[in-house]
Amino acid sequence: MMVVIFDRLGYFFHETWLSVRRNLTLTFAAILTVAVGAMLVGLGLMARSASSNALGRWQGGVQFEIFLQPTISGAQIDALGLELRNHPDIERIEFVTQKEAHELLQEILIDEPEVLEEVAPESLPASYRIVPRRTEGELIESLAAQFRERPGVYSVETGRQQIDAIREWFNSFRWIVLLMSIVLSAASVLLIFNMIRVGMFARRREIEVMKLVGATNSFIRTPFILEGMLHGLVGGVVGAVAAGALRNHVEDLFGRSEILAFFRSFTVSSSQFNTAIIITIILGVVVGAVGSAFAASRFLDV
Amino acid sequence: MIRFENVTKVYKEVTHAVNDVTINIEKGEFVFLVGQSGSGKSTILRLITAEEVPTGGHVHVAGKDLARISSRRVPYLRRNIGSVFQDFKLLPQKSVYENVAFALEVIGRPKNIINTQVPTILELVGLADKQRNLPNELSGGEQQRVCIARAFVNRPLILLADEPTGNLDPVTAQEIMRLLDRINQTGTTVVMATHDQKIVDQMRRRVVALAHGKIVRDQQQGVYS
Repeated sequence: MMVVIFDRLGYFFHETWLSVRRNLTLTFAAILTVAVGAMLVGLGLMARSASSNALGRWQGGVQFEIFLQPTISGAQIDALGLELRNHPDIERIEFVTQKEAHELLQEILIDEPEVLEEVAPESLPASYRIVPRRTEGELIESLAAQFRERPGVYSVETGRQQIDAIREWFNSFRWIVLLMSIVLSAASVLLIFNMIRVGMFARRREIEVMKLVGATNSFIRTPFILEGMLHGLVGGVVGAVAAGALRNHVEDLFGRSEILAFFRSFTVSSSQFNTAIIITIILGVVVGAVGSAFAASRFLDV
Repeated sequence: MIRFENVTKVYKEVTHAVNDVTINIEKGEFVFLVGQSGSGKSTILRLITAEEVPTGGHVHVAGKDLARISSRRVPYLRRNIGSVFQDFKLLPQKSVYENVAFALEVIGRPKNIINTQVPTILELVGLADKQRNLPNELSGGEQQRVCIARAFVNRPLILLADEPTGNLDPVTAQEIMRLLDRINQTGTTVVMATHDQKIVDQMRRRVVALAHGKIVRDQQQGVYS
């Protein structure tokens, strides 16, 4: 039984390889298209992770955050909380303890455990996240100013408007990337479809004989579908490598340039990066499988 | 082995390629299908291999009603049927050996079986010394013998031959007929569509004559006309 399986695998790989060699230019075009499409998907996924990493604390209508001195007493915290809660312009507040702040830091520094070790939870500021009733810039600025000079307050961070602008920019970047990757994926499917069709046409005599002597449909189709998946896989890997290289380049750029210093928090963790890469490669394989399976079912009926 | 019950095949709702044909072919028979071009000989062969589906009636092959087997089972039916053609349908870039081995490879036969069966069958058809040659290095008769070897290597129950001597000179045609006769002697049912009057008259086997898709004569030990 093992021998039969081995013979059969040998046959499939041999046939697949022959076919790849036969249409080298078409193969190249298909792989490049898959690669660009997959790269865009990878970048889109990374952009999404990066923006949600950087903007996480501004979710749910939080407009500014009041950081407290690590040395502040519990009574002072409660008094400030009560005042904030009763303030007519404030809708809702969230208290972030030192421990929670440390956990948030843990998420951000997941790739740098040695840096994290240096930071004790007690040295981090606890904070109040504030959701005001209205979101005009002036109101937020005046609210922030009211609390900035209170005893026990370390700092007040606003910046909602810039954040919104950036979020919007990232969102439209993601949409453009998504749209382009859909178009390119469709183009990839069509290219692979055509490539497999050409391959089948080149081998029509063999296929005719195979049908004649009783080869099953799946046996006839398998080398073609493998071929499509192989192209998709190669394209996906190339796309993933390109997306990875671009990510490193961009993060490097953010790190060096003072103008772009703001973007330093827009980084992806290695697990998010790996997820994006794996999805990118899987997408390539799926595109290849869909294109070739479509061609096989169109042109290979008994 | 092969049974047609009132089988009709209509193309494009006008042409009756096969018209109400009922025929029974027993295991081990040798049957000639004769008639002019367009009389329905090839269509009958294609109905047996399930390449065509009848418009009416039932086709039974090797004990199975073809209307009742799913399209996924059709390849397994075809493993019981060998096919021989006027134009051989050999793969030009494969050697004689590879052409015959291909028929076993693609139905998933293990290598060791292929390695014993292919030389045996090439010996039988008299091409043992040409197994490394490509088809275009062979004469027409030799190519037809490769085609027969490929059809017979899996020891099918039925061998269908569509004008197998159509492209061959009379002497070579005789050799091919001797080969088909030997295959028939092993118990294989042979159905051969032909125009070749001389061969039919000489072989004295069952003759089914067709005209306009209908059987006009069915004769044991018959002649062409």
